[in-house]
Amino acid sequence: MTTDTLETTPGDIDVAPQPDRQEVGGRHRSHRLNAGVALAGLAVAACSTDETDELLITEGQKPTSEAEAARFLLHAGMAVTGDNLSAVQDQGYERWLSREMNAPVALKGTEWLTRQGYDEVNEENYFFSRSIGDNALWQQLMTRENGVRKRAALALSEFFVVGLSALNYDWRSQSIVHYWDTLNEHAFGTYRELLEAVSLHPAMGFYLNTKGNRKADPKSGREPDENYSREVMQLFSIGLFQLNMDGTPKLDGSGNPIETYTNDDVVGLARVFTGYDLDYSGLDYKLRPGSTNHKVYDPAYAQRPMTTDVTKWRWPARSSQHSDLEKAFLGTVIPAGTGPEESLRIALDTLANHPNTAPFFASQMIQRLVTSNPSPAYVARVANVFADNGQGVRGDLKAVFKAVLLDEEALSQQTLASPTFGKMREPMLTLAQWAQTFDAVSETKRYKVGDLSNASNRLGQSPMRSPSVFNFFRPGFIPPNSNASANDLYAPEFALLNESSIATGINFMMSVIEGRQWATGDIKVSYAEELELATDPQALLDRLDLRLTANQLSSEARGIILGALQSRNVDAASSDTDKLRLVHTAVMLIMAAPEYVVQK
Amino acid sequence: MFYGNQTQFDRRTFLARGSQTAAFGGIASYATGLAAIGEAAAFESTGDYKAIVCVFLKGGNDHGNTIIPFDATNYARYAAIRGGDGEGGGGIALPRAALANTVIDAPEGQTLTDDIRYALAPTMPRLKALYDSGAMAPMLNVGPLVAPLTKAQYQSSNHAANPRPPKLFSHNDQQSVWQSGAPEGATTGWGGKMGDLARGLNANPVFTSITASSNEVFLAGQTTTAYTVSSGGAVEMRPVTQGLYRSMDAGDALRQLITAQRNHVLEADYTRMAKRSLDAQAFVANALAPIELSTNFDDPAGNNRLASQLQIVARLIGARQALGVKRQVFVVTTGGFDTHDNLIDNHGGLLGGIDFAMDAFYRATVELGIASNVTAFTASDFGRTLSSNGDGSDHGWGSHHFVVGGAVNGGRFYGTAPQVSIESDDQVGRGRLLPAMAVDQLASTLALWFGVSPSELPGLLPNIGRFDGADLGFMKR
Repeated sequence: MTTDTLETTPGDIDVAPQPDRQEVGGRHRSHRLNAGVALAGLAVAACSTDETDELLITEGQKPTSEAEAARFLLHAGMAVTGDNLSAVQDQGYERWLSREMNAPVALKGTEWLTRQGYDEVNEENYFFSRSIGDNALWQQLMTRENGVRKRAALALSEFFVVGLSALNYDWRSQSIVHYWDTLNEHAFGTYRELLEAVSLHPAMGFYLNTKGNRKADPKSGREPDENYSREVMQLFSIGLFQLNMDGTPKLDGSGNPIETYTNDDVVGLARVFTGYDLDYSGLDYKLRPGSTNHKVYDPAYAQRPMTTDVTKWRWPARSSQHSDLEKAFLGTVIPAGTGPEESLRIALDTLANHPNTAPFFASQMIQRLVTSNPSPAYVARVANVFADNGQGVRGDLKAVFKAVLLDEEALSQQTLASPTFGKMREPMLTLAQWAQTFDAVSETKRYKVGDLSNASNRLGQSPMRSPSVFNFFRPGFIPPNSNASANDLYAPEFALLNESSIATGINFMMSVIEGRQWATGDIKVSYAEELELATDPQALLDRLDLRLTANQLSSEARGIILGALQSRNVDAASSDTDKLRLVHTAVMLIMAAPEYVVQK
Repeated sequence: MFYGNQTQFDRRTFLARGSQTAAFGGIASYATGLAAIGEAAAFESTGDYKAIVCVFLKGGNDHGNTIIPFDATNYARYAAIRGGDGEGGGGIALPRAALANTVIDAPEGQTLTDDIRYALAPTMPRLKALYDSGAMAPMLNVGPLVAPLTKAQYQSSNHAANPRPPKLFSHNDQQSVWQSGAPEGATTGWGGKMGDLARGLNANPVFTSITASSNEVFLAGQTTTAYTVSSGGAVEMRPVTQGLYRSMDAGDALRQLITAQRNHVLEADYTRMAKRSLDAQAFVANALAPIELSTNFDDPAGNNRLASQLQIVARLIGARQALGVKRQVFVVTTGGFDTHDNLIDNHGGLLGGIDFAMDAFYRATVELGIASNVTAFTASDFGRTLSSNGDGSDHGWGSHHFVVGGAVNGGRFYGTAPQVSIESDDQVGRGRLLPAMAVDQLASTLALWFGVSPSELPGLLPNIGRFDGADLGFMKR
């Protein structure tokens, strides 16, 4: 081997120009938007050129094959089980999706915590544990119920980001799991309601400092905290640059992107988020065992919406801490003396109704669920549904997620064949898919999976463990000197992939699949149905290819995998251990294959 | 899979030098032109090893409580703005008495603005000792600038005539601006561009830019791509090296799958990364195996991930000959600096972690006999407001930073000390500092030391010509 082989030439792959790539791609290149808010990637051949075309599939349309059904299920949820595969084939896409969206929540994360006794104040000090929060979130992701709702909620958790690692207060796990429940509750409600629930949630209050934020004090020079004000605009609603409905940037006379807000807007909006603190009203406490003064309050204090009613605070203030000054931002002026509820209503209305919010939100939900580089037309179709669900409702998230999942670009055979379509599967989705596909159980019922964030010896990602409010990766990330960069493509999830993490991730999944305790704690799968196919590697591969990749493995990959399975020489007389190793081998090879890692 | 015997290195180095014309042809397209090619030999004439290490503090370090006014007059201003009570601390002000052991005095002949005397945070005694010994230099009020800017120009509505850095006060964008001169979405940084210029000296150019943390744009060049290590070194892919579920055939199948030629763009990037991982792992592991440092990187104050990262960087530097490298840029990172809340409770510990880690790293380079060839510098999203929001500070702009190493002209201050004020002309409100030293000047001074020639600087730092001085003198040359 020569040293040169280490230097892989970027741009190995250069995609042949698609019909209208030259114009769209060229426009894109010269005005790339740094925040990734405009996803004017390659125009995919399959997409319509008329941006207003309604490309939602028709009601009653059914998948024409198991593979089509599986592809849809892996966009809409986290796994293909036998049941959902036949259900979507029987009912058709839209009907199945509506039923899933309308299904009540089977088990909330907070209900699970309570069921485990984790709300008790005892020597275990659960109120200070982070691992019970991790385990509750894994319980949610590893069980099959409400798959569509949970998938949407997970995408929302990567938009309205709160990271458990940064939370330091009693019942932080109960708090962040309640935040997760809140995302689930509002996943198919309206964006405006969700924005308010997120803004007032204690987990967000601690994370971005609205909790305890007070109006200016001229005497001490204290000013309102600007953190939430800035991030709610930059990340949770409008983004940095003015957008067209298709996600491309609006340009000024000199051809430059136009910023959506200035620091003055941040300062003005910051006054809206003053005067809030936690609601302790009527809550009891217990003393921490062994302590005479550490009062551990009912977990509800870390779950109820924050309040500006100073009488409900733990240490009631004498008067409102909400700013009385004029609040000016984004062209909206809230007059001096306006109270907190009215100020919040106006502020959140302003953000929810801002023209940017539709394409900003739409493009990122498409990226999380379907593809890193949607065509501008796809973004526009979803953004238009955000703007109006057809019945005059703005921000109807049920309609928005339907538009994302039922778009022709998500379902068509043309995009399946495109060399630029799809996204890298996030590691946490891989683990959840493994657990759901093989119907994992927790032997102790405690789902002792823990925080898997470490990229040197674990999975390299864990739900709601983003290292910052900027999520695990940015929507506009482009790996340097890569094929993606040579082709002008975004690849957000590739921010998680490097020489170290790729090896770590494969090592970890190898241990997960064979059920090593250090990797998955007490999570066990039986592979019962797969074991029955151990003597028929072809049938085993067919089954797993459908369920894990929606038959997206290439014939080359299938050949390599089949060869490896056959090399294990398993027959009817083989031991159970040998049969199980063959199944493990099949699952591992598929989950490491590039066609699996990049979901189309 | 050992592929780096000495004969090969010599041959490759020769070939690399022979191909420099082509390499620099590419670079000239973003540098100043032909002059760059003529002066490219600067790297070759300094044939020994050099490394630059960026210590990035994620979240925007509160410079106000990192380098703190100590003289009575300026301390009183600081305490008043930060909600302190006299000299006793309070609000987000540190008590004055706590600063007495970490005073860093300007040397004879250097007078700072308003005769200010500074102290480091009380949790930074080791950096104070490095300052005293001359191995540490503080950079005062440094931050991103497109061109020199006054407050009046900043406030002017004519942004075309008075350009500001893009997306000031935004975390992700200012991280990117510090590292690359452009907001998020930038694809090359000044560390990687230095790597582009220097990689010809490295027998194994893949190890020109290395991160022991996240993949930062600082490390990416036109041809330079960061190589990632964990704190333990290069991670072995066990199914390939030891077999998959006890089958070497199955392990080999896995290797074939993940390194296959793919036509899908993203799949090709996945297999490309798998190849990079597999190709380098054993080589790096072999190179690192004999390198053991007696310098202690175990922080007595507790788990210190920055120290772990700097330890592997020090070991890699120790393995430089086996790795076949003469010029390297590194990134390590540490987080938690977005101190909107609980500044007093949390910030001191964060700085203590930096103090321990950077000192240990410096001592490790002394142990390796290469202290004068390795320079570490801190960077962060931005400085913060001097005024308080109750128990923390908000996003700012200019900040104070440190440069540490045996080649540093330390023991004195660089840049201009800002007034301790929320009204003066060197800040733009709430004490958000208007930088007087550009990141470009910090970068150019480091780059010149690294071996970049003056005419190559605009290729790294397009605006450098707008500033007065590309060599601020803090590096010995």
